[in-house]
Amino acid sequence: MNQQEGYADDIVKGFIIWSMVWGLVAVLVGVLISFQIAFPQLNLPPYLTYGRLRPIHTNAGIFGWGIGSFMAFFIYITQRLTRTPLWSPGLARVQLWLFNVVIALAAVTLALGMNRSKEYAELEWPVAILVVVLWVIFSVNIVMTIVKRREEQMYISLWYILATLVGVAVLYLVNNAAIPVSLTKSYSAYAGANDANVQWWYGHNAVAMVLTTPPLAIFYYFLPKTTGVPIYSHRMGVIAFWSLIFMYLWTGAHHLLWAPVPDWVQTLAMGFSVMLIAPSWAAVFNGYFSMNGQWHQMRDNYLVKFLIFGITFYGMQTLQGPSQAVRTFSAFIHFTDWVPGHVHMGTLGWVSLVLFAAIYYTVPKVYQTEIYSIPLANLHFWLALTGQLIFSISMWIAGVQQAAMLNATNPDGSLHYSFMETLIELYPYWHMRAAGGLIYLAGLAFFLYNIFKTITGGKARAAAQRA
Amino acid sequence: MDAASVYYLGVTVILFLVFAAIVARVYSGKRKAKGEEPKYRMMEDEKPHEANGKGGRDVRRK
Repeated sequence: MNQQEGYADDIVKGFIIWSMVWGLVAVLVGVLISFQIAFPQLNLPPYLTYGRLRPIHTNAGIFGWGIGSFMAFFIYITQRLTRTPLWSPGLARVQLWLFNVVIALAAVTLALGMNRSKEYAELEWPVAILVVVLWVIFSVNIVMTIVKRREEQMYISLWYILATLVGVAVLYLVNNAAIPVSLTKSYSAYAGANDANVQWWYGHNAVAMVLTTPPLAIFYYFLPKTTGVPIYSHRMGVIAFWSLIFMYLWTGAHHLLWAPVPDWVQTLAMGFSVMLIAPSWAAVFNGYFSMNGQWHQMRDNYLVKFLIFGITFYGMQTLQGPSQAVRTFSAFIHFTDWVPGHVHMGTLGWVSLVLFAAIYYTVPKVYQTEIYSIPLANLHFWLALTGQLIFSISMWIAGVQQAAMLNATNPDGSLHYSFMETLIELYPYWHMRAAGGLIYLAGLAFFLYNIFKTITGGKARAAAQRA
Repeated sequence: MDAASVYYLGVTVILFLVFAAIVARVYSGKRKAKGEEPKYRMMEDEKPHEANGKGGRDVRRK
C-alpha cells in the first residue's frame, strides 16, 4: 500500500501496467488482421488466420485493455471519492493475477479455436467461470469500500461504477448460460431467435456497461481534476445517469432489425436507441459546459485535449449509433464495413483517448514524479487522432460504397454486382485502414515509452530519497 | 388484456414513476445546494484522513 497517501495505489500501478501490455497486444493483432484483409496471403492457417485472431483482438482490446484499465481507475477513483482506503488490498492483488490468467487463457483458447461463436462472449465455460469469480472479487472490494465511505453523498462517477459492477454481472451470467458437453465445448442454453435476442441484449449492453459507463465514470472524475474546475452540473450528471440506465437495456434488438425476432421488439429497440441521444448528449454538454472560460486549456494542457476529443467522439458515436438503429439506415449499412468504422470511433476515439488521459494523469501521481515528456504525449495525441480518423473515415466510405453496390439492381430485379465485385472495390479502403492502424500503433509506442520513462524516473527519484 | 400484459404494463408504469420521482428529487429547489455539493468535495480528495483521523463527513454507524 502507498503509505504516504493512505490509499492502496500499488495495485493501481499493477492494473495500469498490465492493461497497457494487453492494449499493445490488441493493437498489434488488430494491425495484423487489417493487413490480413488487405493481403490475404498473410493468413497462415490454422492459428494465424483472421478467424482465429479477430476474437483475440476484440477480447484483448475490450477485456484486457478496457476492463484492465477500468479496474485500475475504479480502485483509484473509489478510494478518493469515498476518502477511504480500499477494503481489501490483498483481495485486489488476487484479482490482478486472476485477471491476467483469464486474459492469457482467453488468448490461448481462442487461438486453439475454442469459441462459443457469440460475439464478445466467445470464451468457453471453464474460462467464463473464472471471469465470474474475478468479477465477484472485484465487485465485493469496490462495493465494500463504498459502503464504508466517509463521504455522505456519492459523486456521479461512483454511480457509474456501481452500474458497471451490477450491469456486467447480470449480462454475463444470463448470456453465458450454457450446457457443457466437454471441457472445451458447450452449447447455449437458449435456441434460435431467443438465443440471438439474448446474445444482442448482452452484446449491445457490453457496449453500455463496458464501453460507456466506465469511461464516463473516468471522464467525470478526471476532467475536473485536470482542468482544476468542477464539473458544470452534478445534478444534470445524475439525471443523465438514471436516464441512460433506464433506457440502455432495451436497445439490444436493434442489432436484429429485419431478423426473425418479433417486430415490436425491433421497434422498441429502435425507439429506445433514438431516445438514448438525450442522456448521452447530457454528458457531452456537461463536459463542454465545464470548459466555460477554460477553453484555452485545449492549447495549454495536453490532458484536456485527450478528454475533450474523447467526449466529442462519444457525442458523435451516440448520434451515429442511434442513426444506425433506425430500420431504413440499418438495412443499408448493416453487414458492411461502415460498422467497424463506427465501432473504432468509439474504442480508439472515445474510450482510449479518455483512458490515455487518465493514465497520463495517474502514473505521475502514484509514482510521485512528473510526466517524462509532454511533447511526446502531444505527439501521441496527434498520431492517435490521425490514425483513428483514417481508420473510421475510410471504413465509412467503404461501407457506403459496399452498401450501394450490394443494393444495386438491374431493371429485372436481379443484382447488378456479384459479391466478388463488391469485395474487389474495397481493397483501396482496406489498405488505408491498415495504414491508419500503423499510425495509431506508432502513437501507442510513444505513449508506452513515455509512461515507461515516467515510471523508471519515479522509481529512481524514490530510491534517491530513501538513500 | 391477459395477466402477463397487465403485469408488463404495471412494471412499466412503476418504472416510469420511479424515474419521475428521481428527476423531481434531484431537481428540487430545496436540494439544489446539496445536489451540487459532491462536485466541489471531489476536488479535494487527495488524502483519506484529515487531522482528526477522518476524511470528509463520516457517515458510518458508530
